[in-house]
Amino acid sequence: MTLPMVSARDRELYRRQKLSATDRERLLRPYLPDPDSLSTRPSIHQHRKRPSTARKKNATRTRNRTRTRTISIRAFLRSQLHQLVYALIHICLGFYVRLSQALAAVIDRIQAIVYYHHRTPELIQKDVRSLSRLPEHLSVILSLHRDDDALQTLMDEVSELAAWTACAGIPTLSIYEKSGVLKSCIPALYQAVTDKLSSYYGSPVHQPILRIFAPHHSVYGPSRASSVTRRSSNGATLTILLLSATDGRETLVDLTKTLAEMAQNGKLSPDDISTDLIDAEISEITSRPSQSTPALFSNDNDQGDEKEPVSGNNRHHDTADNLVPPILQPIKPEPDLLLIFGPYVKLDGYPPWQIRLTEIFCTGDRGSSITGGQEAVEYQGFMRALWRYARAQMRFGR
Amino acid sequence: MASMHLSHIRKWILDSPPIEFAIGHIRELLVGALKQGPVPQHVAFVMDGNRRFARSHGIETVEGHNLGFEALARILEVCYKSGVQVVTIYAFSIENFKRSKFEVDALMDIAKVKLSQLAQHGDLLDRYGASVRVLGRRGLLKPDVAAAVDQAVELTSRNGDRILNICFPYTSRDEITTAVRDTVIDYTKPLDPVRPTSSPPRNPFSESHIVSNIRARALNAKGQMETSDSENTSGSSSRDEDESLGQDRSSNTVYESTSSFSSSTTLHLAGLQDDSTPRDLLFAKPTDASSPFFISPETITPQTITDHMFTKGDPPLDLLIRTSGVERLSDFMLWQCHQNTEIVFLDVLWPEFDLWHFLPVLWRWQRRVAKAQWRGMEEDDDIARATDRLYSEGLDETPLRQGAKIKGL
Repeated sequence: MTLPMVSARDRELYRRQKLSATDRERLLRPYLPDPDSLSTRPSIHQHRKRPSTARKKNATRTRNRTRTRTISIRAFLRSQLHQLVYALIHICLGFYVRLSQALAAVIDRIQAIVYYHHRTPELIQKDVRSLSRLPEHLSVILSLHRDDDALQTLMDEVSELAAWTACAGIPTLSIYEKSGVLKSCIPALYQAVTDKLSSYYGSPVHQPILRIFAPHHSVYGPSRASSVTRRSSNGATLTILLLSATDGRETLVDLTKTLAEMAQNGKLSPDDISTDLIDAEISEITSRPSQSTPALFSNDNDQGDEKEPVSGNNRHHDTADNLVPPILQPIKPEPDLLLIFGPYVKLDGYPPWQIRLTEIFCTGDRGSSITGGQEAVEYQGFMRALWRYARAQMRFGR
Repeated sequence: MASMHLSHIRKWILDSPPIEFAIGHIRELLVGALKQGPVPQHVAFVMDGNRRFARSHGIETVEGHNLGFEALARILEVCYKSGVQVVTIYAFSIENFKRSKFEVDALMDIAKVKLSQLAQHGDLLDRYGASVRVLGRRGLLKPDVAAAVDQAVELTSRNGDRILNICFPYTSRDEITTAVRDTVIDYTKPLDPVRPTSSPPRNPFSESHIVSNIRARALNAKGQMETSDSENTSGSSSRDEDESLGQDRSSNTVYESTSSFSSSTTLHLAGLQDDSTPRDLLFAKPTDASSPFFISPETITPQTITDHMFTKGDPPLDLLIRTSGVERLSDFMLWQCHQNTEIVFLDVLWPEFDLWHFLPVLWRWQRRVAKAQWRGMEEDDDIARATDRLYSEGLDETPLRQGAKIKGL
């Protein structure tokens, strides 16, 4: 609350009075460091200004020599002291960090036991019910592990998250993974998530309607026959949006390129470029799936589907337009809550435009970096994020 | 009552000269020790909590902002002494103009007074060499405040190595928009013809769509678009997009199959872009026989846009600190902080923010950076080992590698 470097009396003077410029300088002078000690450039200035009579010069030089010697010894001792303090601080910090990691890990384990979902949607719903608000669009940053079945682990994490999100009643989940591997295996992911959902919900009748899409990729959703029957039983839908590093800066760069070209061709004046225009264009990409690819029609992988987009689009479009409107419904482009499974908050290339007002939650450091692994994607982390978002206190015991 | 008494005693003890002296020396020592390790080059602060502090301490909001300014002075001292090159602070958001007129005026007043005070100490600033920059929409300021801003910026512009960026009426989206617009303006300056090449550009954004967006906003008919029309427009536009995508793909293949000449030009281009001087020698694209030549928009890279940001030339943002426990970026430094920046949310109000809150953050950062360097050395070993194993195993198709291959294509 106070300026400890400045003595209390001077601070009062500084605050109370309307000081003139010279007064203020006089007041502050004792607190300013010696300019000579700061850097070389100003001290050269000082030297140049010194009186230039020969005798005086001589005298100052001898004085300077003795002074520089004492200064250098003092500086050496000071730097030694600083290094010592630095080492001590970091040793203590190391102990402290390990201790707090251990504590966090213990608490985490206890929570993992107390709040286990048992793959029961009712339990998850019960956990969520007391919360004052829920995010409409949850976003999660995941990263590829470095072991051999990395992709399998990642898909498993995504499907677990999808199941929890669906059970909690959050309609949209976006997954950010930097490299974008997930985008190249949407059908496999769809299968994995559907399997997971059926292990939570049981029969497919109770499952929410699932659709997966990525920017510039087609929507991957249920075939129309099954979706019609499902909609009658369970109105819930779950949309999974896959994002990668290319949807961040590169998308903005692409937009700039298009705009620049239009401007060069005289189709647009630079004055037309406004925040609203960019917002409309950027959010279009992540919020509105472009076309639908019912799961039954496309058993081939996604790349094959994209090679002939025009004909494929026309065919699917007719079916999509009159039969499956919910699959093309736009989603909320800006996430409400961003969940990071990691020791600290680092966005790692997450699309910048969309996170303007997103609440960011990080599960924190639980020392899994010691064992070399990544932070595990676990239910209690997910719940803690939702608690935090609702500004609720977490309680032990349900 | 008792607690107030205690706090009085505490204040009295802390303010007594010997204790003050000792604390001053401890601070010096800690800051000096901090310099022994890696120090972030660019730190950003969201100074949040002045109003809440004022409310909880029963003082005027304006007084809270004043105390916030003192906290800023404290932190700046610590930053510059420990070797931080650039400090960026979020002083005033464009959205803040929506607050009460009284408060906005008071904030503007504080800014004006402090900036003009700064201007009175020209020689002092020269000696310590920090330069002030004001980022944001200057046009939204009142003329007298803008004049004070200009004076302070002008006065300190010759000072060297330390920079204080004050984001004055600022939002990050506005900054990105400005950067995009400036880039477009740069690219619409006609060039002298150097070497005409015809390379059809790649455009994932459909032009007709953008035109229709502009039109829609001009007519103020945004709301009507949502309902019945949306099906039609989205349908047609997606078809457009697809056509352009298809075009793009075919053009890419054409581009790749051309002679070595074109690939050599692209290499040339890439080299130039790294120097971030894309407007010197690049090939121009003729749109018509008679129209002027332009730099190809294909040469725009993320770096180009970064160079058009308000923070151009500053080192990458290492640390972003937001006080008052709000865990949002609130439209601050989005472009700058979304990559390797460590973002820290602290549960302390800005006027209370001091060295003692700041140091643990810096220590953790130092620890992490030191560890990352250590791990970076190990990782190089790991990569070498992994590639060895890959070669020895031969070609077996794990899904991950398949994915990587697809991406490579």
